[in-house]
Amino acid sequence: MAILDVTDLRKEYGGFVAVEGSSFDIERGEVFGVVGPNGAGKTTTLKMLAGLIEPTAGTAVVAGHTPGEREMARRLGFLPEESPLYEEMTAVGYLEFFADLYDVPADVATERIHDSLDRLDLEHRERRIGNMSKGMQRKVAIARALVNDPDVLIFDEPASGLDPLTTNYIIDFTRELSDEGKTIVFSAHNLFHVESICDRLIIMNDGRIVARGTLEAIREAHGGTEYHVYATVDGSDGPADADSPVEVTEENGQYRHVVADMAAVEAVREAVEAGGGRVTDIQTKTPSLEEIFLEVAGEPAETET
Amino acid sequence: MSDGRYRALGKRLGRLRESIARTGRIARWEVTASAGTVDRKTAVALVVLVLAAGTAGLSVADEGLGLEREIYVVGVAEDSQYHDVAVESEQFRPVPLEDVVAESGDGNADTVALREDATVDVVVTRDGRIAHDGPNGEAAYDEFRSAVETYNANLMDRESDQAAAYPVLVSLEYRDRDLEGTTAGGTSGDGDGTADGSSGDGSGTSGGNNNGGDEPATGEDGGDEVGDGGSDDRLQVPNVGGSGASSAPGTPGSIAPPFPFDSLVLAFLFVVPMNFVIQAYGSTIMDERLNRRGELLLVSPASSREIVAGKTLPYLLALVGIVVAIAVGIDGSPLAVAAAVPIALLFLAASFTGAMFARSFKELTFVTVTISVFLTTYTFIPAIFTDVNPIALISPLTLIVMDIQGESVRFGEYLFSTGPFYLSAAVLFLLGVGVYREEDMFAQKPIPAKVLDAVANRLRGRRSVALLSVLFIPFVFAGQLLSVALLFAVPEVVAVPAVVVAAAAIEELAKSIGVYAGFARSRFDATAKTAVVLGAFSGTGFFLGEKVTHVVQFVGLPDLPVGTAAFGPAVSSDPLLLAVVFLAPLALHVVTAIISAVGASRGRTGYAVGFLAATLVHVAYNLGVLTLVA
Repeated sequence: MAILDVTDLRKEYGGFVAVEGSSFDIERGEVFGVVGPNGAGKTTTLKMLAGLIEPTAGTAVVAGHTPGEREMARRLGFLPEESPLYEEMTAVGYLEFFADLYDVPADVATERIHDSLDRLDLEHRERRIGNMSKGMQRKVAIARALVNDPDVLIFDEPASGLDPLTTNYIIDFTRELSDEGKTIVFSAHNLFHVESICDRLIIMNDGRIVARGTLEAIREAHGGTEYHVYATVDGSDGPADADSPVEVTEENGQYRHVVADMAAVEAVREAVEAGGGRVTDIQTKTPSLEEIFLEVAGEPAETET
Repeated sequence: MSDGRYRALGKRLGRLRESIARTGRIARWEVTASAGTVDRKTAVALVVLVLAAGTAGLSVADEGLGLEREIYVVGVAEDSQYHDVAVESEQFRPVPLEDVVAESGDGNADTVALREDATVDVVVTRDGRIAHDGPNGEAAYDEFRSAVETYNANLMDRESDQAAAYPVLVSLEYRDRDLEGTTAGGTSGDGDGTADGSSGDGSGTSGGNNNGGDEPATGEDGGDEVGDGGSDDRLQVPNVGGSGASSAPGTPGSIAPPFPFDSLVLAFLFVVPMNFVIQAYGSTIMDERLNRRGELLLVSPASSREIVAGKTLPYLLALVGIVVAIAVGIDGSPLAVAAAVPIALLFLAASFTGAMFARSFKELTFVTVTISVFLTTYTFIPAIFTDVNPIALISPLTLIVMDIQGESVRFGEYLFSTGPFYLSAAVLFLLGVGVYREEDMFAQKPIPAKVLDAVANRLRGRRSVALLSVLFIPFVFAGQLLSVALLFAVPEVVAVPAVVVAAAAIEELAKSIGVYAGFARSRFDATAKTAVVLGAFSGTGFFLGEKVTHVVQFVGLPDLPVGTAAFGPAVSSDPLLLAVVFLAPLALHVVTAIISAVGASRGRTGYAVGFLAATLVHVAYNLGVLTLVA
């Protein structure tokens, strides 16, 4: 059963449409990626889910509640792109305040706060937040999102602007949370991170969803697997099927044939041998999410998969 | 009551309890967080500063500023009758005559000669002549003459036989001037010693102390009888003798408008800390908006109202604490606290809304300074007229002055003074809370655009423009009262037309701003039909709300010409006239609101034109009513 269900979500600022007709659902325990270029509508979508922004149209149901409802707020952990913390407070004081605000009993809060900070490897907990490094502040922000033990976590660019070590730490921690059964909506510019931890994802562009599904399904829909056949002569006459065109490039006497399926690979091989040449190498190419992203980022219409 | 209702009530109470608890937690955190921003040295410095300011204020109130204390030196023999004059006057410091005159002289006028090293401004010779010396001598001489007059007046006051002291009494009666700005019976002394409907006459003096050259009276009877000074009506008979002087009949030359200096300074003490507290309060609200720090609170289970209440509560409690402490310090009654609290509330509400609209700390500084200047002026200036005119009651500070002076305050007067403050504060908080959300808090828009957002956020359908018009009534009331107060001292030939125009413009703005915001933020279809409907709702709502302002009847403000210009004449007892008086404003408000609304539907320029046209119609109406009815 979906823990998060979004239907025809739309947000308009004056005459500007930030999000248009977004529909998707997320299963319990899933890590769901939201990617897209700047201004694609990712953050607006996440904030509508968190109840921070009121949709112009459409509905969203999070853990059985409408965003903005008090009960939904109790079951949600939100980590915005920046870490807007109260810098004059200590890390523990800050987390205790939010635990109090979420009606978490003091003894439970204390245990939960220190457990989170232990797992995040945050030292100097009584230090003022303003005196902490950016990475430490981010860890405090993540601990704050967990202070109410939420069912759903919304992480908007959790590793934005952090060094690689801290970034990896936070990505690993996110994976741990997922393993514990938390539902996580995850947005990041670094597509490698999305690719490594998301079960499903949507790609947004100009406020619309342009691709969705599992990574494999999206790959299938946007390029799929390619086969590169390297030969000493041109074998592009081989495949007769128009649905499997052959793209040939020549460099230093080597011909590279790019084809889409194994039948075309076989046809190219036969044509090469018929032409007196030989196949020197065959490689399988899977497009990265980044390549798919670059391809679909310019697409105006949604592609259902 | 059924079980279901009990359960529903129980749930509601439970939610209220939770809401209060959350508000309390945010308030507690606000105190902790704010305390974290002030280091120990700064805290000590602030405490010292506050104590110094408080001590200075109380000292000034107790003893006066003392700027003129002993600024002149008078050489006078100790056995001279003028010596006591110099001793009693705080402006003079007496020195023995022999210390300043040359040994060769005998101290009499024809032989006296000052020593070269003598530093005196005035010298009283042994034969009673008064001379002056040095660059300040002339001014010192004049002041010494005045001191002699005051000394004599005080002696007269203490005279047990007042009839002997003041054989002629002149009763003064201040009368209203008419609309043409002329006076009916002369305005200055005419020498006949009678009161004929004019202001204080210049003659008809009592004997003994009329002008310079008179000698100090001698002998003291030690009596404490004082004249009654006229009737109990403080609005008609001012004190005579100037501040700090006699309360008994005095000389016409000593007549001055009553100025409750001491009470005013004490009352002002209540306002001073508010100016400091709103700086901190405005900053904490601004802090939430900068760098999106308030975003995480918005996503928590706490509502915007709870967050704002929680962040405001510590500052309100601090102000209440300060107000109570000042009230205790000056022996004020609970009335002083009850009068000061709405001022504090309005200071906070205005700062909150200002901080929600400002785009940076630089803009916030401008906003808070504007609020400080405006509200301090609004509260302080009218209070100066506490003993003169009911216009003073537009400021709650007047109630404090009255309380300090031991005067009683009627409940209607309290409502009149504090009502606009309470209501304005409530509306400002309402508008501010309306934009306390992600979409408005962190947007960098110009202040006018944010004002429109705040107003538009309160629109829920066409009928809500009527409610908005009602909500703006306190601002209208306050704005009109302020225009009356500011133009109170201006000649009526200028003041009355100015107030008529100002009053009309303020009302038209209140009626049209909600409609314009609705069109500007696409809440309504920009059609003429919609504009007419919205105008009708707004005008009707305003008419109903305006009736609330009839509270001015309680204190007789419309009896003033400028009051009439602002609020219209008092309602007649004639049924026909009564109907006209009630229905005509309804028609006026609906028509002018429709004019503005139609203009607003055409954009900003259209709104400006519509607003101007509506104001002109309103002004014409007001002038017509004044001419026909008043």
